[in-house]
Amino acid sequence: MKIVVCIKQVPKSDSVKIDPKTNNMVRDNVEGVINPFDKNAIEEALRIKDQLGGEVILLSMGPDGYMSSLRDGLAMGADRAILLSSRAFGGADTLATGYPISQAIKKIGGVDLVLLGRQSVDADTGQVGPIVAEYLNVPQVTFAEELRFVDEHTLYGQRLLDGATQSVQVTLPAVVMVRSELNTPRYETPVNIQTSFEKPIDVWTEHDLDLDATRIGQAGSPTTVQKVYAPKREGRQTVQLSDDSATAVKELLARIRN
Amino acid sequence: MAQSMIAVYVQTDGSMVEPTSLQLITKARAIANGQRVVALLPTSDADQTVATVKQYGPDEILVLADDRFAAATDTEIADGLYQVVEQVQPNSMLIPATVVGRSVAPRLQAKLQTGLTADCLDVYFDGDTLVQVKPTYGDDIMCEIICADRRPQMATVRPNVFQAEPAQAATQVTNVDFEFHPEAHIKMEKPTPIISSSANISDASVVIALGRGADNPQLIEKAQKLAARLGGMVGVSRPLTDHAEFGHESQIGQSGQSIAPDLLINFGISGATQYLVGIENAKTIVSVNTDPDAPIFTKSDYAYVGDANDFMDALLSSTRV
Ligand SMILES: Cc1cc2nc3c(=O)[nH]c(=O)nc-3n(C[C@H](O)[C@H](O)[C@H](O)COP(=O)(O)OP(=O)(O)OC[C@H]3O[C@@H](n4cnc5c(N)ncnc54)[C@H](O)[C@@H]3O)c2cc1C
Ligand SMILES: Nc1ncnc2c1ncn2[C@@H]1O[C@H](COP(=O)(O)O)[C@@H](O)[C@H]1O
Repeated sequence: MKIVVCIKQVPKSDSVKIDPKTNNMVRDNVEGVINPFDKNAIEEALRIKDQLGGEVILLSMGPDGYMSSLRDGLAMGADRAILLSSRAFGGADTLATGYPISQAIKKIGGVDLVLLGRQSVDADTGQVGPIVAEYLNVPQVTFAEELRFVDEHTLYGQRLLDGATQSVQVTLPAVVMVRSELNTPRYETPVNIQTSFEKPIDVWTEHDLDLDATRIGQAGSPTTVQKVYAPKREGRQTVQLSDDSATAVKELLARIRN
Repeated sequence: MAQSMIAVYVQTDGSMVEPTSLQLITKARAIANGQRVVALLPTSDADQTVATVKQYGPDEILVLADDRFAAATDTEIADGLYQVVEQVQPNSMLIPATVVGRSVAPRLQAKLQTGLTADCLDVYFDGDTLVQVKPTYGDDIMCEIICADRRPQMATVRPNVFQAEPAQAATQVTNVDFEFHPEAHIKMEKPTPIISSSANISDASVVIALGRGADNPQLIEKAQKLAARLGGMVGVSRPLTDHAEFGHESQIGQSGQSIAPDLLINFGISGATQYLVGIENAKTIVSVNTDPDAPIFTKSDYAYVGDANDFMDALLSSTRV
């Protein structure tokens, strides 16, 4: 079983700055961690490997700083990692992210299963998974909260819809996006942390992939952020209720009943 | 050039129309400014779903009729929509930011090689450009995203930020030519409802909301009692989704549900931006918090500065039946 897990590094804190020139979020100098849902994806890959054997490959696209979260993923137990990193990839929206990722998966070759998080907590789009699935021309299972192998080639999954669940069965290869309910990610162990430094992280640039240069980076991104701002919300006229709770409730009920 | 068009993907589950789709038809009509509002309706029960959609007054309904849409895969839906979008070339396309909508839209986007913005809280036109407004990471950041050159301009829009309003129009109904291409290697079952649709906080007329300041078993039980008496439901801020009884569907806010009840009572909720975006459409908001400076009060019609438990007890004793 050859499993690729796509992971994204996201800022650790909530305080993200905006570059006033490009209107993109500034990710330099902000401590990065693995996108939480992607940890569930790594965990699931490791469990599948425990059960069926195989290889778990981490794949990420981003600046060199993303090495640190790839290293963390290796310390969880993944076998190797690939970072797509080059200026040419910079400023990509989801379309221009999904494309090189799918080309990298094709280059890795023989991949049975691609796992992704349901969404990244910074961009919060959940678009990269279905885009990758479309480019690879394979079925997708989104928002998976349960996964089970029926046999070596067949995966049973359950996805959570708005107020409903839906069962799905796919024959591999497939792309699956996971929810946090799926599992609890394991911690890095000292042994794994140590061996993680012996595991390879390959860096691939646009020259290592078969790419249409017009479909990557900022130029390959149809969307642009035209404005970033702090929302003004209209306040409400607030009626202060009395300190005594019984009186306060009487006041409230008298007003809202008419 | 033909009249410009806003397409709305109408999600159906067999014979039921998903409510956000109708909200988006109303929204599309409101911002259309001369553009045609066209509903794209993949359905296994054309009669019933067309009748529902018609009540909201789109200019046209393009029906993709096929029995297999009762339990179609994301790919099959995206493929059907793609065929129709290629025929009618809309200027923009609105899609419900439901799980299905958010799963179908990016596949369609990749086929169309255009831009897609996820989970918008608002959309409006600036000339021909659809400005897509969405919240992003961290407190207090909203961004406006545009897709300058490619068409359609696609956006998924969060459920319940707009209200669906019935409207009269001379709606044209057209069965479009398309071919249902069954996807190999995957089998989807029909969805199984977890809770009946009446029991959804986004539809509840009264919501009792609990936050970290009301996080104890007694208070949770009392809140449930109060909600039952008022014919409402209990919702929570994000920290309380750690409890087994409150899943994602009970969470109010940016990464949860938007609610629009007649009455919302917040107990022990500070009022983080991510929570506040989910309650903007509540009619009357009452908040209970020990901290007089809690941001929640600036968004409340009634403020009680004090202990959540005291206020809950007082409410329970005066609503006794
Ligand atoms: C990307 C992102 C998305 C998010 N999405 C959501 C979302 O969808 N929904 C959401 O809710 N949060 C969301 N959050 C988290 C959000 O920022 C806040 O952390 C969260 O809303 C805080 O919940 P709270 O108000 O219950 O808790 P707190 O902020 O801890 O507030 C507790 C309040 O209770 C009061 N209190 C304490 N004791 C009592 C008492 N005895 N009686 C009365 N009051 C008392 C305190 O004064 C305080 O104001 C998101 C965060 C991020 C970064
Ligand atoms: N730059 C990236 N590199 C690798 N994987 C990514 C990247 N961006 C997004 N992903 C994957 O796609 C998922 C959804 O991300 P998003 O579409 O940004 O919400 C994430 O949980 C990751 O698994």
